[in-house]
Amino acid sequence: MTVRSTFQRIEQFLFYQESDRWVSVLRIGLGLQVIFLSLALRRDWTYLLSSGGRALISRDLTEAALNAESPFIPRLGWLIEVGNHFGVPESITLWLTWLFLILAGCLLVVGLFSRIAAILAWFLYLCVVRSVGYFSYGVDNLTIIGLFYLMIAPLGDRMSLDSILWHRSSNRDLLPFFRRILQIHLCLIYFFSGISKLAGIGWWNGASLWRALTVPPFHFVNPELVVRWKMLLPAAGLAICALELFYPIFIWLRPTRTFWLVSICTMHLMIGLTMGMFLFAFIMIVLNLAAFATFESFTRRLRAPPVSAILQY
Amino acid sequence: MSQAGRLKRYRYLIGFALAHLLLILTVCLRDTFTTFALAPTIFPIASKPFWNDAAAAASFVLGEDLQLGNPARNLVTSYLNAAGIEAGYGFFSPNVPSNYKLVFELHYPDSRTEYELPHVADAATAFRLESLLDRIAEVSYEPMRQTMFQMLTYPVWQRHPDAISVRAVLGYVVWPSPEQFQRGEKETFEPVYAYDFDLRPSVPATARP
Repeated sequence: MTVRSTFQRIEQFLFYQESDRWVSVLRIGLGLQVIFLSLALRRDWTYLLSSGGRALISRDLTEAALNAESPFIPRLGWLIEVGNHFGVPESITLWLTWLFLILAGCLLVVGLFSRIAAILAWFLYLCVVRSVGYFSYGVDNLTIIGLFYLMIAPLGDRMSLDSILWHRSSNRDLLPFFRRILQIHLCLIYFFSGISKLAGIGWWNGASLWRALTVPPFHFVNPELVVRWKMLLPAAGLAICALELFYPIFIWLRPTRTFWLVSICTMHLMIGLTMGMFLFAFIMIVLNLAAFATFESFTRRLRAPPVSAILQY
Repeated sequence: MSQAGRLKRYRYLIGFALAHLLLILTVCLRDTFTTFALAPTIFPIASKPFWNDAAAAASFVLGEDLQLGNPARNLVTSYLNAAGIEAGYGFFSPNVPSNYKLVFELHYPDSRTEYELPHVADAATAFRLESLLDRIAEVSYEPMRQTMFQMLTYPVWQRHPDAISVRAVLGYVVWPSPEQFQRGEKETFEPVYAYDFDLRPSVPATARP
């Protein structure tokens, strides 16, 4: 293979004809995710994010640890300082942050001022997650990943109000390029998740799945029901590992893509339903659909004339 | 625009994407090797030094060997945090760990004892509390852990101002296997750290790991 043909292959991989539907899915999905996450934290918002003795773990402690890592990582302390400068108390700044997160989420869902909304949602959510520190878990990082890609992706998809009102359209050259980055990132996520699980004996003998389904706070299914199906636990555990480990191979192959995508989304749906991790399930499904779903056939079906119209002729 | 034109036009963007993906790969390798080095896995014990060295090599690539405050280290750390890629993806691996539980034992002047669990308002925060307890258990710097226990105990004391002392006990819950569960065995609580806080002024906290 010559250098020229290698470059051609790279070009074909990075720049091909791509619909902007994946941006719509990512934008709407992340908008909803930001709204859901903010609403889910509504009652504990100041309890988790305040400084001093008003919080469960003071934000001062978390941000001091963050400062040791790097002083340039965004945090709520910056916003609080700006608020203090204008005489706005901490609690008001915290609630304004919450309100702006909801607003950014709503703007993303409808696609109005998409770029500003994406930057605002990313920055505010990043500040919250870094300041909440010890309380953060997987869903937060995956949401930040999604918001980061959304912020730099070509926005202005046909389903957005930006496109409808002001005829702003996506840079079509870059649509496939940014989708490729998201696709490769997801492949790395699943491969390393799968290989780490396979290294543990618990995923071979079903013990890990048993614990995942029954240990609080993930115990959404009655353990009596799980124990009745215990013979299936080792096979189910290995199936999960295989689904993740081989994701980077079978998601790229056209004959297996739909099966793998549906399987992985079903797995996340089941995680949501059986372990109560609804927001984790939602963000993973959104990222998967944005990265690998094929929208052409779906769009064609939507545009097809209704059956009654066909029957008239 | 021709494809060759696109490659030339977007060469900086392609370079950024390559660097971004290489960072993700390095972080994933670091965390996976660390997991293999520290947690019980199917690999032989003799391989632990290899995984340790591999994790150290990945950390070196990420600039973690540089001094705190080094601009290059700050730059990489800040970018990883901003992009949400500072941690790997070993969710529930290599095994699903024991879950930690924090119990407050409240003592009253009339020798009465009450027990309480950390209080959060939303179900979604329960997952975050779980994450917090896992991280407290991993804190190796004793004064830091004690400060965190103090912070967690403070709202409990506010809700029970008549208590004279609080013992905060962090432990892990040993969950029965399916067979043990069928035999009717229940989970057991294994204390790991305990801190006594005398709520009278000027009495220091004592730790009992």
